[in-house]
Amino acid sequence: MVKPRLRIALAGNANVGKSVIFNQLTGLNQVVGNWPGKTVERAEGTLFFKGYTIRIIDLPGIYSLSAFSMEEIVSRDYVAVEKPDIIINVVDASALERNLYFTLQLLELEAPIIIDLNQVDFAAKKGVRIDVEKLSEALGVPVVPTVAITGSGMNELLSTVVAVASGERELKPLKARYGKEIEKRVQAIEKLVSAKLLQLCTVYPARWIAIKLLERDTDVAGKLKNYENGKEVLDYAEKLAIELEKIHGEPSPVVIASERYGLANKIAKEVTAIEAPPRISLEQKLDAITTHKILGYPILTGVVVSMFALIFIGGNFLSAGLEFLFENLSLYVESVLSSFLPRIVVDLINNGILAGIVGGITIALPYIVPFYIILALLEDSGYLPRAAFLMDNLMHKIGLHGKAFIPLMLGYGCSVPACIGCRIMETERERFLAGFVVVLIPCAARTVVILGLVGRFIGLHAALALYAFDLVLVFVLGRIAFKVLPGEPVGLIMEMPPYRKPLAKNIFVKTWSRTKGFIYIAFPIIIAGSVAIEALALSGFMSYIVEAANPLIGGWLGLPPETGIPLIFGILRKELTLILLSELIPLESLTAIQMIVFSLVTMIYIPCIATIAACAREFGWRKALAIAVIDVALALFLGGLAYRLLSLVMAT
Amino acid sequence: MQGGSREPSKRRNPRGIEGVISLTSLCEGERGVVAYAVGGFGLVRRLADMGLTPGVEVKLLRKGSFHGPVQIEVRGVGLALGYGVASKVFVRPLKAKPDG
Ligand SMILES: Nc1nc2c(ncn2[C@@H]2O[C@H](COP(=O)(O)OP(=O)(O)OP(=O)(O)O)[C@@H](O)[C@H]2O)c(=O)[nH]1
Repeated sequence: MVKPRLRIALAGNANVGKSVIFNQLTGLNQVVGNWPGKTVERAEGTLFFKGYTIRIIDLPGIYSLSAFSMEEIVSRDYVAVEKPDIIINVVDASALERNLYFTLQLLELEAPIIIDLNQVDFAAKKGVRIDVEKLSEALGVPVVPTVAITGSGMNELLSTVVAVASGERELKPLKARYGKEIEKRVQAIEKLVSAKLLQLCTVYPARWIAIKLLERDTDVAGKLKNYENGKEVLDYAEKLAIELEKIHGEPSPVVIASERYGLANKIAKEVTAIEAPPRISLEQKLDAITTHKILGYPILTGVVVSMFALIFIGGNFLSAGLEFLFENLSLYVESVLSSFLPRIVVDLINNGILAGIVGGITIALPYIVPFYIILALLEDSGYLPRAAFLMDNLMHKIGLHGKAFIPLMLGYGCSVPACIGCRIMETERERFLAGFVVVLIPCAARTVVILGLVGRFIGLHAALALYAFDLVLVFVLGRIAFKVLPGEPVGLIMEMPPYRKPLAKNIFVKTWSRTKGFIYIAFPIIIAGSVAIEALALSGFMSYIVEAANPLIGGWLGLPPETGIPLIFGILRKELTLILLSELIPLESLTAIQMIVFSLVTMIYIPCIATIAACAREFGWRKALAIAVIDVALALFLGGLAYRLLSLVMAT
Repeated sequence: MQGGSREPSKRRNPRGIEGVISLTSLCEGERGVVAYAVGGFGLVRRLADMGLTPGVEVKLLRKGSFHGPVQIEVRGVGLALGYGVASKVFVRPLKAKPDG
C-alpha cells in the first residue's frame, strides 16, 4: 500500500516555540531565539513517519487572523486556500488565554487543527497546570502536551497527526458561538453570503466571511468587489456592523474581539489549575532591573561595551595564537611547491589561495566566532525586547519605534538577516527606514576590520569611539531620512517574553550553523579575491588601478595608494578589505590616522553585495541602489573629513 | 485662552466617563480595568487583538523615563506599549489589593 503524502503547517502566536518544534521534527536549523517575530519567511521541511512522507511548514508567528499585517493575511490565505491536511496549532501553555484567542480564529476558518500544548515545563514553573483532557474536550480536537526544547512529546504529536490524517481519530471541532447580538447578525450575513457569493464560499467558509465582514475586514471586503452581488452583501454587512456598534458603543472588531476573548477566558479558566501562587522569581527581578527607567541604560551600555570588549579580547588572543601556528606554513609550502611547479603557479597558490585561507582563519574567524556566541546568548536570553523597550523613545526620534532596535542589534552580527528582520516593523515605510539605518551598523565582518586594525594597533578605546561615532551617524541619518520620508510613525505594541536561561545546545547549534555559513560563503570569496589580487599584481594591471584610484585614495583620503584595491574588493565582503590589505602591505606600516580612516570608510561605504541583494529583495532595486550610492558618497566624504581633522588635531 | 483648561481634561478622558484615567496615569504596580481605547481603527483593533478589550484587568508594571513606553501585564502576558499608544487606552483604577 502506498502511504499518502501529508502537508501540515505549524501556526500560532509569536515566540511559542514553533521553530523549535519545526527543528525537532525536521532536523533543520530554523532560527530560534527569545523575541517575538523571528520567523518572517515560512520555512519548509520534510520528514518521514510511520511510512508517511510529511511536508511541514513553519508559518510566521501572529496573534490574530485579521488583516492587520501582511503576515496575517498570508497565513490565513495559506490556511484557507492551500488547505493543508492538518494544522498544528502551537499553544503556549503559560499564556493559554491569549493563545486560545488565535485558536478560536482557526476554528472560525474551519481548519483541521490539532493543539500542541507547548512549554508545559515553563507553565509548571509558573505554577500553572493544564488539564489536557478537558481542553481537548472543550475544543473538540486532540491536544498533545510537549516540551519542545527537550523534544518531549514530539512522537505523540506525530502519531496524533497520522491518526487524524488516517481517519482513525476524528475531529469534532468546537463551533464557537458568540453573544446573541453578534450571532444574530453573523447568521443573517452568512445566509446572504452563501446565497450570493457561491464561488467565494468554495474557498472560505460562509460563516467566516460573515464574521470578517461584520468586523469590517478590508481584505475580505476587497475580495467582494469582484463579485456582481458583492456590493449588496457589503452594504448589508455594513448596516449590521453599525447596528452592533450602536448597541455596544465600540467599533465592531473590538466587540467581536471581546467576545472571542470572553470565550477564550472561559475555556482557559475551566482547564487551568493554579497550583502555587506565583512568587517573585529571579526572572522578574532581572526584568525589573534591566528595564528600569534609570538603571536600565547603564546596563544596556555595559552589555554592549562588554560585548565588544569580550570579542576584542577573545579575538586578539585567538588571532595571535593562530597566526603563530600558520607563520611558517607559507614558507614550507613554497619550498615544497617550487621544487616541481613554475614560479608563477607557486605564487598564485601561495600568495593567492593559501594567503586567502590563512587570512580568513587568522584574521576573520577569531573575531567572528566569539561574536556569534555572544549574539546567540543575547538572542536566547530575551534581552533584546528589553533593549527595544529602553530604546523606544530614542527610536521615535528617527521615526521608528523600539522594535526597530532588534534588527539594529542583529545588524552587529550580519546585515543580511538584520535587513530581513526589519519585517517586524509594521508598515512599508518603517521597514525601509529601519533597513536604511540597519545596513549602517557595523556587522561582524566590519568588526573584524575595526577591532583587527584600529583595536589591535591603536587600542580598544579608539575602536569603541568608532562604534560610538557610527551610532551618532545612524541617529543623524535616521533623523534626516525620517524628515524626508513623510508618514505618521506607528506606536510600539510588543509582547515581552519572559527571560530564559539560554540553552548551551541551542547556543552551540546556532553558532556552529552561522560559522559554517560564514565559511561556506565567505571563504570562497576570500580565496577568489586573494587569487584575483595576486593575478593583478603578477600581470602588472595592479599599478594601473592603483594609479587611477590614487587621487581619491591618496589625495582625498590620505591612504597608501595600494589600499584602493582592497576597498574595491571589499564590496564582495567587508572583512576582505583587511585580509587583502594585509597581503599587500604590512598592517603595522599604516599610521594611526590611516588606520582610522580606512576602518571608517570600510564601516560605511557600501553594504556588501549580499546585503544589497537582500535590500533589493525587501525594498526593490531602486531603493537598494539608492542606499548603496548614499553610503559610498557618505563614506568618502567622512573619510576625507576625518583625515583632515585628525591630521589637524594630531599636529597641534 | 479661555477654552484652554477644557482641552486637556477632555484629552484625559475623551468619553467623559467618571473615574476613568489614561493607562499612563496609573502608578507602577497599580491595577485597572480597561474602559475603552481611542484612536484609529487599526490601532484600536490591534490593541483588542493583543487582549486589551473593554473589561479586562491590566497591571502596570513600569513606566519608561521621559514619557517612555509602559510595560503592562494583561491576560497573563507581558506587553510593552509606546507612550502614545498607552495614552490612548483608558482604564478604571482598581483599589489596591495585596499584590500577587
Ligand atoms: N521552557 C521552554 N522553552 C521553550 C519551549 N519551546 C520553545 N521554548 C523557547 O521559546 C523561545 C521561542 O521559541 P521559537 O521556536 O523561536 O518561537 P517561534 O514560535 O518560532 O517564534 P516566532 O518565530 O517569533 O514566531 C525560545 O527561546 C525557545 O528556547 C518549551 O517547550 N519549554
